[in-house]
Amino acid sequence: MVETDQFIEDAVAEIREEIGSANAIIALSGGVDSSVAAALAHEAVGDQLVPVYVDTGLMRKGETDEIRETFAYMDRLRIVSAQDRFLEALTGVTDPEEKRHVIGEQFIREFEREAHSSDAEYLVQGTIYPDRIESDGNIKSHHNVGGLPDVVDFEGIVEPVRELYKDEVREVARALGLESVVSERMPFPGPGLAVRIIGEVTEEKVEIAREATAVVEDELEAYEPWQAFAAVLGKATGVKGDNRVHGHVVAVRSVESRDGMTARAQPLDWEVLQRIQSRITGTLPNVSRVLYDVTHKPPATIEYE
Amino acid sequence: MVRIDVVDNHGQFTHLEHRALRDLGVNTTLLENTTPPAEIEADGLVLSGGPDMDDTGNCAAYLDLDIPVLGICLGMQLIAKSLGGTVGTGEYGGYADVTVEVVDEDDPILGSLAPETRVWASHADEVTELPPGFSLAGRSDVCAIEAMSDPKRDLYGVQWHPEVAHTEAGTELFENFRRRCE
Repeated sequence: MVETDQFIEDAVAEIREEIGSANAIIALSGGVDSSVAAALAHEAVGDQLVPVYVDTGLMRKGETDEIRETFAYMDRLRIVSAQDRFLEALTGVTDPEEKRHVIGEQFIREFEREAHSSDAEYLVQGTIYPDRIESDGNIKSHHNVGGLPDVVDFEGIVEPVRELYKDEVREVARALGLESVVSERMPFPGPGLAVRIIGEVTEEKVEIAREATAVVEDELEAYEPWQAFAAVLGKATGVKGDNRVHGHVVAVRSVESRDGMTARAQPLDWEVLQRIQSRITGTLPNVSRVLYDVTHKPPATIEYE
Repeated sequence: MVRIDVVDNHGQFTHLEHRALRDLGVNTTLLENTTPPAEIEADGLVLSGGPDMDDTGNCAAYLDLDIPVLGICLGMQLIAKSLGGTVGTGEYGGYADVTVEVVDEDDPILGSLAPETRVWASHADEVTELPPGFSLAGRSDVCAIEAMSDPKRDLYGVQWHPEVAHTEAGTELFENFRRRCE
């Protein structure tokens, strides 16, 4: 495991040396990796750092507000409202890799504009060790190692947590005193709720994924899952009151894992599953069914796309 | 310090093999499988898993270096295929939770895990016939050859993934392999 105090001291010194007196920019995703990278960089160069958070509209419930609060101590924090632009770009896109690509491209466009207007010469990224390996293989593309440097001519790229594993980044987050909401937060994919929606991403489906995920996270806290969420799969018939409903099918997923590389579907109590089902179908009129996903990783992945 | 390098056959868990060895305090480097055999300086090698037997580079040649080798998943299949065994598609894919019966409690790699060990697997193909010189070290309900050993040449193979967190005694298995490399 990583020696956190030594690691922080070394990382801060290294960032300070690399960036010098220039401006640097970092994309905050709300996840622990970019949060730790930002905190280290801010420690190193203070207000030379411009943290940018792009609200894609694909974030979890309350996430944008939490980020605004957590990073309020960074004076140059920018929050970009890009919800409409992302939804528009995703119109008609159904292929999973194409979805990731569209989101990555839109993200780059948003970020490019911010990078230019802040005169940033350095890019700080929260890339961790498995990101580098998985992008070499062909499992899924990670957008934080993606195309950004190709469109913005940065002087250099700084990746302070590039040698760490996820659990080690969390250790560092705790040592940095980042609020537990960041250090203990469940991993959340870069493309956000879009990969928890099979088929085209629409405002209606995003809303279902967001609200249902909030229910699942709330109900399953006691199980301490590595990740717990809801996905929107397709449509099926139901009956509500005296009306036939052709509503959405929501899958509930809850897994335990050390590092996300392998995962075990959690055994949940029937009463808890029923309460989740009841809350989701009771509060979301256009949901007709709730399923529980019992598949481990492998053969499934944790996320749906 | 003993040095055990990990040869990357583009498996998604390769970096966890590297990590498992690092956490044991072993000096370890991740190597491309195209590294010329003459440049290998390690006291032992782990051949990682991966998606494609045709993309295993120089792995077969590393078996002649006279150092201990542990093949994992595709790495095991490669050892079998290179040394006269056979590989085929199993009737039942091995995914996630598998209980492996340890066949020989004197086996240098698997013996200490006897009588059985719970492992995490991910494979469609498997070794269907042992190569000459190897003996069966482990089997399960879904795969007849889960592990094989040739202690004379110090060549070993396991069909599952000892490097992932969900495999019960993965660290112990790597520890046993390290002892063979010292």
